[in-house]
Amino acid sequence: MNRLKIEPVVEERIKIYVDDSPQGVSIRFVGDIDMEDPSIILDPLFDKIHEGVIKLGVKEVSADFKELNFLNSSGIKGVAKWIMKLSEVDDDNKYVIKIIHNKDITWQVTSLPTLTFLVPGAVQVE
Amino acid sequence: MAVDKKSSKEGYIELRFGPRWKYIACARSFIQNFLAISIADQTRADKIAMAASELLENAVKYASGDDTHILVNVYPETEKIRVQVINKASDESIKALKQVYGKISDENSLDAYVSQMKEAALRSDGKSQLGLARIRYETGGDLQMEIKDNVVRVMIDIG
Ligand SMILES: Nc1ncnc2c1ncn2[C@@H]1O[C@H](COP(=O)(O)OP(=O)(O)OP(=O)(O)O)[C@@H](O)[C@H]1O
Ligand SMILES: [Mg+2]
Repeated sequence: MNRLKIEPVVEERIKIYVDDSPQGVSIRFVGDIDMEDPSIILDPLFDKIHEGVIKLGVKEVSADFKELNFLNSSGIKGVAKWIMKLSEVDDDNKYVIKIIHNKDITWQVTSLPTLTFLVPGAVQVE
Repeated sequence: MAVDKKSSKEGYIELRFGPRWKYIACARSFIQNFLAISIADQTRADKIAMAASELLENAVKYASGDDTHILVNVYPETEKIRVQVINKASDESIKALKQVYGKISDENSLDAYVSQMKEAALRSDGKSQLGLARIRYETGGDLQMEIKDNVVRVMIDIG
């Protein structure tokens, strides 16, 4: 179990794992996010991560999309909603989101970098 | 599902099915595999399959009636591809479609996509309204729509 005590999401087409990392916390997506309403799984997960990270003073969260084959636009909205939370926290509670992308998956190359425009300085893509 | 050839030169895929969400992933893979054979550029095939998937999601979500219809035309001479969905829709969906279309067409595709993302993230009515802006940005294509009576045609031309 990770330090935030967040259970993994295990659905038929998507698994999401939360683990401790040397720098903080990592979230790893495996499968496809293409259900009609991904907010049902993404919103509670990102809420828990955001609150837990602030509570424990974690400064870096990596979001590993390398094994995510597909993310529909409602799923992108879920990720954007998480990132936009960082526009509302004060400097002491700020953390960085490091997005890890797979250069062989076309949508990741085009869409993931656009997330850096949402909140200046909050997101890095590597 | 039907795969056909209109002429010896022009390849196309036409799929019609009852609007069931679970068919979308299946149609996406099918279109992707089909295009992997008919066009050389794999990145383009990925983008087109993504666009088809987003348009199909809309055709399933907002269609009134039980027919979901998608067409992918491949024009080998110009290497152009057109993806279109055709469905009936309510006045309310049509109004929203015109509104979103008007808004995103006013801006360059990156600005439109980022501003739709911000809006989606901040709104509290649960709406997303990101799909059309996404496909316009990711494919670099030309998004168009046609509305006649209550029949909607949304298409993207990818050069
Ligand atoms: N095929 C269609 N038939 C009827 N209305 C449509 C159709 N496509 C889109 N619309 C309308 O246009 C709006 C914008 O579509 P878009 O795909 O951009 O966003 P969305 O479907 O609301 O959310 P998302 O794609 O991010 O999950 C929809 O909310 C819907 O009202
Ligand atoms: Mg949509």
